[in-house]
Amino acid sequence: MKSVPRLIRRFISILFLSIFFLLLLNFLLLYFMTKDQTSSRSPYATAQEAARGLIRDGENCALGQDFQEMLREENAWAVFIDNDTHRVIWHTEDLPEDIPMEYSLSEIADLTLGYVRDYPTYVGDGDNGIMVLGYPRDRYWKSMWPTWDYDFIANLPWNILTVMLLNLLSFLILYMVANTGLLKSVNPIVKGIQTLPTGEPVYVREKGVLSELAASINHTSEMLQMQQRQLRRKETARANWIAGVSHDIRTPLSMVMGYAGQLAGDLRLPEEEQKKAQVIVRQSARMKNLINDLNLASKLEYNMQPLARGRENAVALVRQVAVDFINMDIDRRFQIEWTAEESLRACMVDGDRDLLMRAVSNLIQNSINHNEQGCRIYVGVWQEEGSCVIRVEDDGKGASDAQIEKLNHTPHYMVCDTNTTEQRHGLGLLIVRQIAASHGGTVRIGRSSYGGLSVEIVLPVDS
Amino acid sequence: MDITYLKEKRILIVDDEQELLDMVVSILKEDGFRNIRTASSVKDALETAGTFRPELAILDVMLPDGSGFSLMERLKVQADYPILFLTARGEADDRLRGLGLGADDYMVKPFLPQELIFRVTAILRRSYKGEEPLVRLQGSMIDFSRGEVVKGGEHIPLTAKEHALLSALCRNAGRIVTIDALCEAAWGDNPYGYENSLMAHIRRIREKIEVCPSQPISLVTVKGLGYKLMVER
Repeated sequence: MKSVPRLIRRFISILFLSIFFLLLLNFLLLYFMTKDQTSSRSPYATAQEAARGLIRDGENCALGQDFQEMLREENAWAVFIDNDTHRVIWHTEDLPEDIPMEYSLSEIADLTLGYVRDYPTYVGDGDNGIMVLGYPRDRYWKSMWPTWDYDFIANLPWNILTVMLLNLLSFLILYMVANTGLLKSVNPIVKGIQTLPTGEPVYVREKGVLSELAASINHTSEMLQMQQRQLRRKETARANWIAGVSHDIRTPLSMVMGYAGQLAGDLRLPEEEQKKAQVIVRQSARMKNLINDLNLASKLEYNMQPLARGRENAVALVRQVAVDFINMDIDRRFQIEWTAEESLRACMVDGDRDLLMRAVSNLIQNSINHNEQGCRIYVGVWQEEGSCVIRVEDDGKGASDAQIEKLNHTPHYMVCDTNTTEQRHGLGLLIVRQIAASHGGTVRIGRSSYGGLSVEIVLPVDS
Repeated sequence: MDITYLKEKRILIVDDEQELLDMVVSILKEDGFRNIRTASSVKDALETAGTFRPELAILDVMLPDGSGFSLMERLKVQADYPILFLTARGEADDRLRGLGLGADDYMVKPFLPQELIFRVTAILRRSYKGEEPLVRLQGSMIDFSRGEVVKGGEHIPLTAKEHALLSALCRNAGRIVTIDALCEAAWGDNPYGYENSLMAHIRRIREKIEVCPSQPISLVTVKGLGYKLMVER
């Protein structure tokens, strides 16, 4: 499950990026929204400047032209209150009518802090009096009671950092709570999908946000299992069918072979008739081999041949096959020679004795079948870098490079899933391949140094 | 080697196919076997065996009223004699089951007449070797019952290993016996590393049986493969 930590990393980085961009966006929005609201100057500064710009001469006051222009632009009115009398001794011409002309101390405190008749007011300190600027009622919103602890403002950077960290922490907790559930339900689904290709049955609990996904995985697994079972049933039926046919053919063939064998050796018969009987014997022997091969090949193909594995000495086993052929007195045209080095007395493999002997005997039989004019057959065992090599070669007619290439790489018609119109060859080599494969080995076909074909079965050595 | 005493053995053949029975009988008769009876069912076989007292039974596995395996067990209760299965079932587990239950050999149909004769003779020889007469070689004789070789009037005793090796060679007279099979006959299972000892024993056997041990005629080496004992008929 390497994908889940990767998923978490990805989620977290997306989360941090989102936070960063969200903050940036907020600052930018704030900037653009407030940029046009506030004029270039602060109203406090304007009030201060206006206060200083007022020229006082006893009871007469006058404001400079440019200051008046500035106030008009801001659409603001102004009054000047004398320090001693608390009366307005000067005001702009556009003064609203409801603005009082005399103020008590508490009213002055009020207007300094906030509003006069709902007009937001700003105060500047002038010549023995105060200048009060009044802005339109919808111009400013005055924050009147912002009182902070001293320490809070003094430690502002730390406070901001703490707040940020707390924010981050709450984000993480929220994320974990929200996603742990999701990850919990993702885990079995990922496991299920990973198990599907192995062919094992899969069941994911159909619970949580991803229950639909779990249900489809379960459904897929069920379908795969069903298909597997069906395939297996078909394979079993096919193998049983082949086994049945080959069984039923054996008894009648016994009689053909037995009587033909008797006739072939009957000296009372004319030579001509004996020869005919020999042909029947040879051909029925071919049929016998074919039946045996067909049955074994189909069983090996569908893994219905249980391997009776044991520690076997390949040298002894191959030697026995060679001797069995010689003892059968096959035909004077075929000579079998043992080519293994005398020093190699044992080469142990973990295998099924009968099947391995069958493979070697198939190779020798192949040399006999394909060289009607007769040939020498060279049989031997070698040990090479952890492998046991069983080699059967002959000095017969061999095969062309193209044929060897084909033998090495084209699948046999019996295991080929496309229609084939090629000339069909026997099952001998297919069985050798299947037996080698079931023992974790391989088959190499090539040209022999003796002139004919060379076939090697390479098996892992059982150390 | 004189094996006429084997031809006298009583053989019971059980198969439900009459034509096959006829053929097997004809093959055996042609080779000289004289005492043969047939049966085509388990019931029939048990009855015949009770009176005929066979010394070898050749059984089919699938019979109309039971299996050959169970028939073998019931026959063995009556008397202990060798059993050869002759069947159309070639499956490995059938073969192992037959041999595991104590059958002496297992032959799958179809078969050549010579193959049947060879297996029957081999089983009989193995089972009744105590009755085996002298084995004649060129220039000497082996007397297995006394465990000695008679050469030029001289009686030379055989050691246990030599006896075992010669028995294995004699059972396969005229055929090659592999080095490995000989080692197994003398030293038991998994006989690796005895090849040099085997060569020494073969040399000593040759000294006992051959007229000229350096140029053996009876006990022949087949290079790389094994040895062959040539027996006089």
